[in-house]
Amino acid sequence: MDKGTEPLESLRREVRDWLEANAPKDWRAACTGHAAFLDTQRGWFAKLAEGGYAVPHWPAEWPGGGRTLAEQKVIYEELARADTPRLLLSFMSTYHAASTLFEWGSAAQQAHYIPRILQGEIWCQGFSEPNAGSDLAALRCRAERRGDVYVVNGQKLWSTMGQFADKCLLLVRTSSEGAKQAGLTYLLLDLKAKGVTVRPIHQIHGDEEFAEVFLDDVEVPVADRLGEEGQGWAVAQSTLSSERGLTLMELSARMRGSQWRIADLIRASGREEDAGVLRDFGRLATKIDAAVAIADQFLANRIAGEERVGDASLVKLTYSRTLRAFTDLGVRLGGIGAQYHEPIVFGGGMETGNWMADFMNSYAWTIAGGSDEVQRNIIAERLLGMPREPKGWTVGAAA
Amino acid sequence: MTLTRTELEEAARKAFEGALAEDRWSMIADMGLLMAAVPDARGGLGLGGEAVGAIHVELGRALVSGPAIAQMMAIEALAGSDAPAELLDRAMAGDVMTASLAADGTLTCVPDADRASHMLVAEPGRVALVPLDGATITPRETWDRTRRLFDVAPSDDRIVLAEGSAADALAERIERLMLLALAGDSLGGADAILTLTIDYLKTRRQFDRPLALFQALKHRVADMKTQLAAADALFRARAAGQASLVEIGALKAHATTVYRAIAEEAVQLHGGIGLTMEHHCHLFLKRATLNAALGGDADRREAAAGREKLARAFA
Ligand SMILES: Cc1cc2nc3c(=O)[nH]c(=O)nc-3n(C[C@H](O)[C@H](O)[C@H](O)COP(=O)(O)OP(=O)(O)OC[C@H]3O[C@@H](n4cnc5c(N)ncnc54)[C@H](O)[C@@H]3O)c2cc1C
Repeated sequence: MDKGTEPLESLRREVRDWLEANAPKDWRAACTGHAAFLDTQRGWFAKLAEGGYAVPHWPAEWPGGGRTLAEQKVIYEELARADTPRLLLSFMSTYHAASTLFEWGSAAQQAHYIPRILQGEIWCQGFSEPNAGSDLAALRCRAERRGDVYVVNGQKLWSTMGQFADKCLLLVRTSSEGAKQAGLTYLLLDLKAKGVTVRPIHQIHGDEEFAEVFLDDVEVPVADRLGEEGQGWAVAQSTLSSERGLTLMELSARMRGSQWRIADLIRASGREEDAGVLRDFGRLATKIDAAVAIADQFLANRIAGEERVGDASLVKLTYSRTLRAFTDLGVRLGGIGAQYHEPIVFGGGMETGNWMADFMNSYAWTIAGGSDEVQRNIIAERLLGMPREPKGWTVGAAA
Repeated sequence: MTLTRTELEEAARKAFEGALAEDRWSMIADMGLLMAAVPDARGGLGLGGEAVGAIHVELGRALVSGPAIAQMMAIEALAGSDAPAELLDRAMAGDVMTASLAADGTLTCVPDADRASHMLVAEPGRVALVPLDGATITPRETWDRTRRLFDVAPSDDRIVLAEGSAADALAERIERLMLLALAGDSLGGADAILTLTIDYLKTRRQFDRPLALFQALKHRVADMKTQLAAADALFRARAAGQASLVEIGALKAHATTVYRAIAEEAVQLHGGIGLTMEHHCHLFLKRATLNAALGGDADRREAAAGREKLARAFA
């Protein structure tokens, strides 16, 4: 073993020992409803935070932060290997909210919100609207400044974990002048505020992971604005970049840690000697390693201050296609067995072995956070410098 | 009877239009769809195997639920044997008689067994109809809610329809019909969801224009249409011609693969709304994946096709 990997191996042992003593057991069987899901997620997050493993990607000044990339990867791999719950409930808090606060929050905002995240406060993201999906900048949810508050009216759609969240990263329109992007402002919304209604949406794999949020004369203190008025688009890019790049270190490590599920299927269906199946498994395993490698490289570049616009899209598109390939192979090898309905495990992660459910859930990564098509546009236009589609099409112009 | 295949197809399409995933069992029976392939002499419409495929295209297009595929397999067996005419007449009139849609010889994947009077059982050297009175029938809930499948452990009663080599020939005809029906169902479903997706792209606006204006998406639907058109041509050619059972199996594999690919793309192209129960995309996606798994999956069917082609190449 070379000198560089020795401390990592000792971290690995340390995490493994800690997990042996602390990882929740039998949670998969228990998490068949939202009550158990919330209990499990909250309990496990608190444990991890106490053990110092909840937020290894945070900066060193915060408890549990300051891990090197290599260390982070060891931690995520071990968490997957020990089959611990994926922290879906606090995902937006520890990644999207925290990253955006680190970059844009005032000292006072950071001091207020960051410790609460570690104590388990749940955030969701309120960007999309019925008519603003891929075209996020077209959003219409309106905030009007009145003294020290903004009064917000409108509707948000697809807010993951919205129905369980305490707080919301809210992107609103404060002006209709000029470019669509220029009129946006970023607010930190308390979902317990008067005038907020949250309605869960039923998804095709059986969960209700996302929700609609209706805002009716909701007051948000001006102190809870991130960045300046009209700077919302730039702030939102931090959130999106964290979603598209940073989170995928953990998720691709988890995917790598879940390959045994496919191996199990191959064995269970007696196809260990089937050359076609082995080739497909080998191809998938290589793709997964590539997804881990590109997430790795992205973060290294980011830390070195060398992130290019579009790099995060490469990472996300690689991950989403690989996750699709993974769950697709599961459905295929699962045969008719995979077609029988199994209730999903809430918070079970992206690879639970309930193959049809996993397959349908994999769309979360090909659509959410900017769809694959949108990532392709970003890669082509921003990274590769190809011309953008002309703007401002109208019926008359096309005729 | 003077009904032509085209007339039957059009009538079926009209009859199922407008609603998705409904049980239209009495309509299917009343329209004579179940008896389409049965020779005139045995009281059917005498339209042959091709008509079966065409009917299932229409059933698939509307995601019609119910045991039509299995029922037609039972009818094919009854019509192809000297079974009592009374049983055949009952089956053609819609008295539910079912069959397994699994390809591994197990009595699994049996549609609507809970409302069937009989079940067709094909074993090596024997094809029989089994009354389901004394059978143990276990529901197996599938992700696809447009079909209701059961495991069946039948009693020992058997109405033998054929034995020995006649049974094997009959079993092959039944399997062929199942594969053609699954292929047809898949192509009809694929066509329907592709049409719905194109409509959606024309109406959904982002970036101040309909999504349909993006060439990236136009090319995607063009690819889907091309895949579908080629699969449909193959379907017609193989259903009409002298294709081997293995070739019909490969056709089924191909048609279900195309269905799956189109249904998968449809969800993606609908964006978030495609992932909700409120929208119809998932109904197609789930039926497509079930169709792919029923009747022997693509891995198995395509490997067999490769083996057969290889043997012929060296023959
Ligand atoms: C599981 C899940 C979780 C989500 N969580 C959140 C959340 O927490 N917070 C939040 O704010 N939002 C969330 N979203 C919303 C997500 O960001 C949007 O669904 C996504 O941006 C796509 O928007 P849309 O659904 O309106 O699809 P549309 O924008 O209508 O797109 C439909 C199709 O057209 C394609 N398309 C659109 N524009 C172009 C173009 N210019 N070129 C080529 N193709 C194009 C899309 O790729 C897609 O295939 C979530 C979505 C999902 C599915």
